[in-house]
Amino acid sequence: MYTILVYDVNEKRVAKALKVCRKYLNWVQNSVFEGEISEAKLKKLKFELSQKLNLHEDSVIIYNFQSRLYSQREILGVEKNNLDRFI
Amino acid sequence: MKRPIYIFSDGVLKRKNNTLYFESEGVQKFIPVENTSEIYIFGEVELNKRFLEFLTQSEIILHFFNRYGYYVGSFYPREYLNSGYMILKQAEHYLDTQKRLSLARTFVEGGYKNMRQVLKYYQSRGIDELERYIQQMENLFGSISNINDINTLMAIEGNIRQTYYSAFDLIIDKDDFKFEKRSKRPPKNALNALISFGNSMMYTIVLSEIYRTHLDPRIGYLHTTNFRRFTLNLDVAEIFKPIIVDRLIFSIISKNMLKPEHFEQDLEGIVITDSAKKLFIDELEQRLSTTISVKNIGNYVSYRQLIRIELYKIEKHLMGEKEYQPYVSQW
Repeated sequence: MYTILVYDVNEKRVAKALKVCRKYLNWVQNSVFEGEISEAKLKKLKFELSQKLNLHEDSVIIYNFQSRLYSQREILGVEKNNLDRFI
Repeated sequence: MKRPIYIFSDGVLKRKNNTLYFESEGVQKFIPVENTSEIYIFGEVELNKRFLEFLTQSEIILHFFNRYGYYVGSFYPREYLNSGYMILKQAEHYLDTQKRLSLARTFVEGGYKNMRQVLKYYQSRGIDELERYIQQMENLFGSISNINDINTLMAIEGNIRQTYYSAFDLIIDKDDFKFEKRSKRPPKNALNALISFGNSMMYTIVLSEIYRTHLDPRIGYLHTTNFRRFTLNLDVAEIFKPIIVDRLIFSIISKNMLKPEHFEQDLEGIVITDSAKKLFIDELEQRLSTTISVKNIGNYVSYRQLIRIELYKIEKHLMGEKEYQPYVSQW
């Protein structure tokens, strides 16, 4: 499953959200993550996030795709983090 | 799915914020732990014990390669799938000469059948001279059923492989990539360098898969178990080398993806440059994630899963549930 996760979180908690997401997905740009993830791992991620966030105030949107087959990814301007398998 | 990470830059690998972190001049990168299956290190990387502890906890293997792309060793974290029963069964099959021979023979058989399959594939595409090599290999293979010691078996396996390699020039037919003869440590020409690199990648891939089963990689059957090395991965890799590594080399070369600039002359041999390694690994990963339909499984599986299935088949054989039949590619 390919997932894109975006969040809009109060400044007080934004660092916490960032750290949780970094464990599961690739950081793309500020408050945006994406990557291949299994259903179980996604559940874990959602649980961890809901522990750290205030769900009355913060907002997280998760887009799930069966695969990236019919999608296109385009970048205008700077690529902040390339998702290569090589470092 | 979890994916492997390849590090070619020089820098520091750390545990930071409960995830993996790589830092070098100008590059700072967090790698998601939960999404990493193994790490291949080609650059000069510093790491500490805290990091190794973290890898053990997250069950991630680390493979090291030196600057020529030779396999150096692995950080094989504490086994998380422990089974005394399986170790006993493995040892039993090693110590009993007949049981060991029959397993070793199936590895040779699997390797041979896949090599033949590769040659047949190119024969069907119009290279008729390959028939001679296929015949020669068949004759050699015919003699293995009445061999009673491992060394002779290995020698015959070596002869089959030599015959197979000598057919490479017919398949490739490019002046920059002449095979001539197999040379290792160091390889004397570009094609040999590619084969060596591909094979050592294959060994580590199989090792990574073994880590996720109950098998102990130190007990191999065709390759004699000794005091230091992993050997079971070498056995299983015999089966997959022709269909994954060799086919990949042929396809990369025939598509003209590699140029002579991708190779450098070192003191005694030929060295592959980093850009060629990256290209090769990219193609290899693509091939490993290609899904194919396999008889008796009833579903599409990727080549990487196929390697794991092969290991499960060996487990079944060791437990006496089902005789092990090596995977033979059907093209």
